[in-house]
Amino acid sequence: MIRCPSDLKLEAHLLAEASSPLAPHVASCGSCRARLDEMRRLGDEFQREVYPATVDAVAGAAGRRRPFVGWMLYAAPVSIAAAAAAILLLVQPRSPGDDYLGTKGAKLAVTVYAQAGDAARPVADGEVIPATASLRFRVRLGAPCRLWLVSVDAAGQVSRLYPPAGDGGAEVTAAGPLPGGAVLDGKPGPERIYAICSPRPLTFADLERSARAAAGGGETAVRAARSLRALPAGSSQATLLLEKRP
Amino acid sequence: MGDEGLSDQREQAARLYRVLGPAVYRRCLRLLGDREAAKDATQEVFVKLLRDMRRLEERETVLPWIYRVATNHCLNLRRNLRRRGEEDLEPALRIASDRPPDGYPERELAQKVLSRFDARTQAVAVGVLVDGMEHDEVAAALGISRRTVSRKLDRFLENAQKFIGRSEP
Repeated sequence: MIRCPSDLKLEAHLLAEASSPLAPHVASCGSCRARLDEMRRLGDEFQREVYPATVDAVAGAAGRRRPFVGWMLYAAPVSIAAAAAAILLLVQPRSPGDDYLGTKGAKLAVTVYAQAGDAARPVADGEVIPATASLRFRVRLGAPCRLWLVSVDAAGQVSRLYPPAGDGGAEVTAAGPLPGGAVLDGKPGPERIYAICSPRPLTFADLERSARAAAGGGETAVRAARSLRALPAGSSQATLLLEKRP
Repeated sequence: MGDEGLSDQREQAARLYRVLGPAVYRRCLRLLGDREAAKDATQEVFVKLLRDMRRLEERETVLPWIYRVATNHCLNLRRNLRRRGEEDLEPALRIASDRPPDGYPERELAQKVLSRFDARTQAVAVGVLVDGMEHDEVAAALGISRRTVSRKLDRFLENAQKFIGRSEP
């Protein structure tokens, strides 16, 4: 009996189908064709939902600097909890490339930009950044919702980043940069940002409880808590970890 | 490096991500079983891979390297959940159905069993039992000798059977 190739070999097949030595086997093996169909389906899912939401952060990690595009400088560092809300981030939302084919409706994604000198660049998950860095945010939505951005630090402090006032979350209908921003508080250690997109109003008190329950247990908990629980049904969420260094 | 060079690097990174990202995503989804977690992990893994961008251009060797980095990263995520007492959130890994389980007594590889072993042994067990790979292929993908694969797998099977036997009611 001829054994079917592993997933790793089928990955190689997908990368170069025209010259693949597996082509004869695949042509005669219904099981492998079904596996390849499923792999292609997941590849389409990546191109449709994962790539557009993450390419900025991934590509940003390859280049450490990015031209400063339309940010206005803060007058002075402030606590992350007291982030100003009057400054617009003018980064244009990035859309999929010309060869992108797929349906709209990707889930929530958030891109965090950090100012470095006279430049601004997207921050990768887990990246080390200055503990006093200025941050801006851009979101991508699957559907209009009530949006929250909060952060949790190693002391269990939950800070609201957006909206800076009001309760229930900001009504957001389109993807794009968020008004305002934040300046980190200067304390070294991990800080995790959560973006929550709720189909109905979600009070800050409820969100704070969820965030503290998930990530309020010190540095290890902050680094590990990739999702919040006890959110309204139908909510989507995204998260990103910052490692603040002096 | 000037802005132009950095821009070229970002474009190259985005192009590689578009081509090779699907393989990372599929691997992460297979090990994590959750689309959101796989999406995050894919991004994290690719940032790691980009530290050696030239290696990503080497089509002959890039896939085993991707397999190794993604596997280690995702198994580490699973270990973190276990440490936090959230292993129930991490689905068991189904044993490859097209081959006998090589003496492993269950049809699934539960995190509580996997977590009893060191990182490399976990990767070997997943490669052989879950991915259904030959020992040679696992050795090449993980960058270790075939003998090491056999030795670690034998130790895994022996101890896993003892653990499962003790756990049965």
